[in-house]
Amino acid sequence: MIFLTLMFSVFREAVAKKIFLGFFAIATLIILFFLLLVNVDSVEGMVNMMEATGEEGVKQLVMGFQVGMITISYFLVITFCFIAVSSFIPSMLEKGNVDILLSKPVSRTNIILAKFLGGVLLIFLSLTYLIGGVWLILSVKSGFWHFPFLYSIPWLTFSFAVVYALIILIGVTTQSTILSIIVSMFLVFVICPVLFVRETVIFSFITNSTMQFVINFFYYILPKLNDINKIIEEIIMGTAVSSYMPAVSSSLFMLAALLLSIFYFRRKDY
Amino acid sequence: MSVIATKELSKEYQSRTFSKEKILALNNFTFEVNEGEIFGILGPNGAGKTTLIKILLGITFRTKGNVQIFGKEIDDTSYKFQTGYLPENHRFPSYLTGEQALAFYGKLGGMNSVDVKKKTDEYLRIVDMDSWRKTKIKKYSKGMLQRLGLAQALMNDPKLVFLDEPTDGVDPIGRKQIRDLLTRLRESGKTIFLNSHLLSEVELICDRVAILNKGGLVASGSVEELTSVADSYRFSVSAIADDLMQPLLNTYKAVIKGPNEFTYKAGTAEELNGLIDFLRQKKAMILQIEKEKNTLENMFINLIGSQD
Repeated sequence: MIFLTLMFSVFREAVAKKIFLGFFAIATLIILFFLLLVNVDSVEGMVNMMEATGEEGVKQLVMGFQVGMITISYFLVITFCFIAVSSFIPSMLEKGNVDILLSKPVSRTNIILAKFLGGVLLIFLSLTYLIGGVWLILSVKSGFWHFPFLYSIPWLTFSFAVVYALIILIGVTTQSTILSIIVSMFLVFVICPVLFVRETVIFSFITNSTMQFVINFFYYILPKLNDINKIIEEIIMGTAVSSYMPAVSSSLFMLAALLLSIFYFRRKDY
Repeated sequence: MSVIATKELSKEYQSRTFSKEKILALNNFTFEVNEGEIFGILGPNGAGKTTLIKILLGITFRTKGNVQIFGKEIDDTSYKFQTGYLPENHRFPSYLTGEQALAFYGKLGGMNSVDVKKKTDEYLRIVDMDSWRKTKIKKYSKGMLQRLGLAQALMNDPKLVFLDEPTDGVDPIGRKQIRDLLTRLRESGKTIFLNSHLLSEVELICDRVAILNKGGLVASGSVEELTSVADSYRFSVSAIADDLMQPLLNTYKAVIKGPNEFTYKAGTAEELNGLIDFLRQKKAMILQIEKEKNTLENMFINLIGSQD
């Protein structure tokens, strides 16, 4: 009961700070955009043309739309959700607020876990609305009910959870919302894409083996969001997933960030 | 029975992050609080009062020493089901209404939904905030926040309540209401641990008081014990005639306070009786003899002043 109260306080905070409303509005706009898109003449014509070339053509078109949708969702999750949730921990740790919280019969470990799970559940439900809506429109319009697209909901939620664990760690140790946003954005927009193309692009400029080792080292210990996106695309396109290693190592990163947050929070004087 | 018992409790803080310099916030602090009493903790700013409360509630960790609440070590957090806390300068999530805040903290205190509803109604009425229950907290004044904070601390019907400056920002009528509430809580058997800068308030409601300075205990006892001036008696007589004046001043070293009042410092009961015999012999009408009392404020200022 206490754990659930804490977990759902994340929802209440999200509603109060208009986070839910903001995501709902943006998601609805995207869904409406897709609804209009599949009804415009040129796209309708494209669907008719694909239908004429056979079922495979329609499938390819729908899956192409869905992969595009994942890219939109990914950036939506990053730019909107990370900014929105990065204040959860610093605001909880404000003097006067944390004192009351810690005086209650709830363990510090559970406080961190409840905030983490609450945030993850919040994003899961938001993504379910967005991706589920788009999936429904595309399926009804094309008659091709491509269920693997729905797997992107837990995968994108997982991507969010990995960075959210880092946001919690930064929030607990620095109590700074701004720093949480900056670090998570830097990770998502700079570090992850650069490390993703390290073999195809970066190593053609950096030939020194020590430097390559250092870059590889960071690649393996840091989250691999772009690799996870690739996994989602492979699942949607129905091709074999090249490697689950990015998911495993990102899970370990998430676990490490959470454990460090709990370790620090359990020892900190407030 | 002791509700709170500490033994040689100490707390050291680092003065800055990565600094080896330590600040001693509490130094071998040993004390007990008994069941059903209002215990006041006094001290100048930085004396370690809030640190003490935070250690007792597991918000801050002790460096050494033992703490027992309800006879159990505080490492077992189950005692928090029976405690309530109103911190100084508390901050509730501003997007909640008064009743939502009470419901939230009540549930965090382990209450079920039915009790939460019942106690929310009851305590909002008691702290005179019933008409503001649906208003967002961000619109509350300081005094209203304080009343709500008090209701929050009492929601789970705790046996032990920690109140850090509970009347801060509350108007005189509100302060009186809070004092009356605390008295009623004591009568119902609850133990109250009170930190307040308002010494007159502490004097009015506390059964026992501890005074901290620089992390150490400098005095403790009942308000009566702490405010009585050692061996000094205030005499009221019908009049201090001339034949009384000289012996009183020269022989008894009394201090004349008015035309019919003087104080006398008696080292022993025999000395006190000696003066009474002298007054009777001189046919002086003794109207009143009382042990001289200080105000808690004067006592506090003298005590802390002598330490600094």
